[in-house]
Amino acid sequence: MKISKDDVVYIAKLAKLRFSDEEIEKLTGEFESILGYFQSIDRMDLETVDPDEFADGRETVFRTDENVFGGDREKLFRNAASMRGTFIQVPRILE
Amino acid sequence: MSGGFTRIPGKDCGFMSVCEISAGVAGGKYSASEITEMYIEKIKSMDDGIGAFLTVCEESAVAQAKALDEKIRSGKKPGRLAGVPVAVKDNICTDGIRTTCASRMLENFIPPYNATVVEKLLSEDAVIVGKTNMDEFAMGSSTENSAFRITKNPRDTTRVPGGSSGGSAAAVAAGMVPAALGSDTGGSIRQPAAFCGIVGLKPTYGLVSRYGLIAFGSSLDQIGPMTKTVEDCARMLEAIQGRDDRDSTSYMGEYQQDYAGRLGRDIRGMRIAVLKEFFTDGLDSEIASSVNESVRRLEGLGAAVDEISIPAAGDGLAAYYIISSAEASSNLARYDGIRYGYRPKEFADVDELMEKSRSEGFGAEVKRRIMLGTYALSSGYYDAYYKRAQKYRKLLRSQMAGVFEKYDLILGPASPVLPFKIGERMGDPLQMYLADVYTIIVNLAGLPAISVPCGISRDGLPIGLQLIGPHFGEAVILQAAYALEQELKLEL
Repeated sequence: MKISKDDVVYIAKLAKLRFSDEEIEKLTGEFESILGYFQSIDRMDLETVDPDEFADGRETVFRTDENVFGGDREKLFRNAASMRGTFIQVPRILE
Repeated sequence: MSGGFTRIPGKDCGFMSVCEISAGVAGGKYSASEITEMYIEKIKSMDDGIGAFLTVCEESAVAQAKALDEKIRSGKKPGRLAGVPVAVKDNICTDGIRTTCASRMLENFIPPYNATVVEKLLSEDAVIVGKTNMDEFAMGSSTENSAFRITKNPRDTTRVPGGSSGGSAAAVAAGMVPAALGSDTGGSIRQPAAFCGIVGLKPTYGLVSRYGLIAFGSSLDQIGPMTKTVEDCARMLEAIQGRDDRDSTSYMGEYQQDYAGRLGRDIRGMRIAVLKEFFTDGLDSEIASSVNESVRRLEGLGAAVDEISIPAAGDGLAAYYIISSAEASSNLARYDGIRYGYRPKEFADVDELMEKSRSEGFGAEVKRRIMLGTYALSSGYYDAYYKRAQKYRKLLRSQMAGVFEKYDLILGPASPVLPFKIGERMGDPLQMYLADVYTIIVNLAGLPAISVPCGISRDGLPIGLQLIGPHFGEAVILQAAYALEQELKLEL
């Protein structure tokens, strides 16, 4: 399995992660060995398996639509890094 | 068996069982306060040398115990776990008590609510004494991926306790608590239980609510008990299981109520399958001979044991790491530095805020899994990896179901290796992943399984045996594990 540094940089961008050149180098090598191992899954004959078919009668689970108290506002916001009034403050996204 | 462990610090303080404590507190033999204070003292005097805890909640535990004593004095009937000190893995939310997932990302996170399992423990009058160390976001097999501290194996402090629930396993093994909760996505309860010489049960997917468990791989994660004895494990399971509307994957059928009451029943005629795929080249010879000895003992007790093959069972590791990493990459997308979690001091715009939060807040293994998962789900690779892994999972489930038409249990080792040295496997992620080879198929198939001590190596290290049951077969698993425990009478 050939993995290039560019592949790793691209995946990092999708995952919203930043790495140093050194880390990219290391991850490229690790990816190659791990994905090489993952290819063992190609050895199996899975053509006839339908992953979407459920023969055992499973159904979608719904819960009743009820209003429940979600807890103190102060308690719920206690983990936010910065607040303005009852709003969580975030960086400007419109110029 | 000879040997026994001489290196357990605090062994002479004595080990009390869940049953002993709850009966004693309910019957007025001990007060919950004296039990709680005794265990808090034990944690304070021992944990510097072990590193099992990330938070010790002395104040709330003492207050809780006092309230329970008051309740008992006023004549009210106490719960089933009256006064039992319990440690909770730090990925299970505790209202008002810091819950970090052993990550910088959640270093200061204080949940505004309790996980369902914590509510259940509290309603049965257990006392929460602390939060235990783990691999960051439960990703790892040695607890070395914690952002905060290394946990040492109480059986040999130069070795790892296993992972990811290594803090919970070490706390129980050292006698700092009689019981703990862990979580198991690919073996994270069973492998550390085996490494530390205790009992650990991964329940059937859906038996125990996941509400309030910080998600890693949602289709695989389950919370379960970790204890010294099989009976304690049964008692803990009775307390934490049950239907929960807040978890849409919660089981909607009937729940067996009295696991402990079934222990001690004869296992004569029980049909046990020994899985050939578990006895491969990578298996340590001492573990193999200890497991084989247990098979002979179970046969002696009247079980009918056959060797069988599940062709798919030997090839699960790739599918497991594809599915669990894919689910992790999606679950961990919520950590963006906006609403909660780590946020860098400086950032130019919202993209930089997110990238810096995630890159600085997550450790190396978590980032590696997010990258693997993102890759497996990315356009062009989805069919080759994720879809194939799902197909494999389907095939495995049907092959396992076929075995349970003829057998009550599947037996094998819990881990291919004995507890390894701290630092020994950290350089090679693939080597570390291979430590999970016997446990991951259970999660992929949603089955229940226990790890129960079955022997001691020449160097005094514990060996764990794994018993896998059909869906909701916890009672049979516990019954067989109890029979083996009573037969072996290991000095652990």
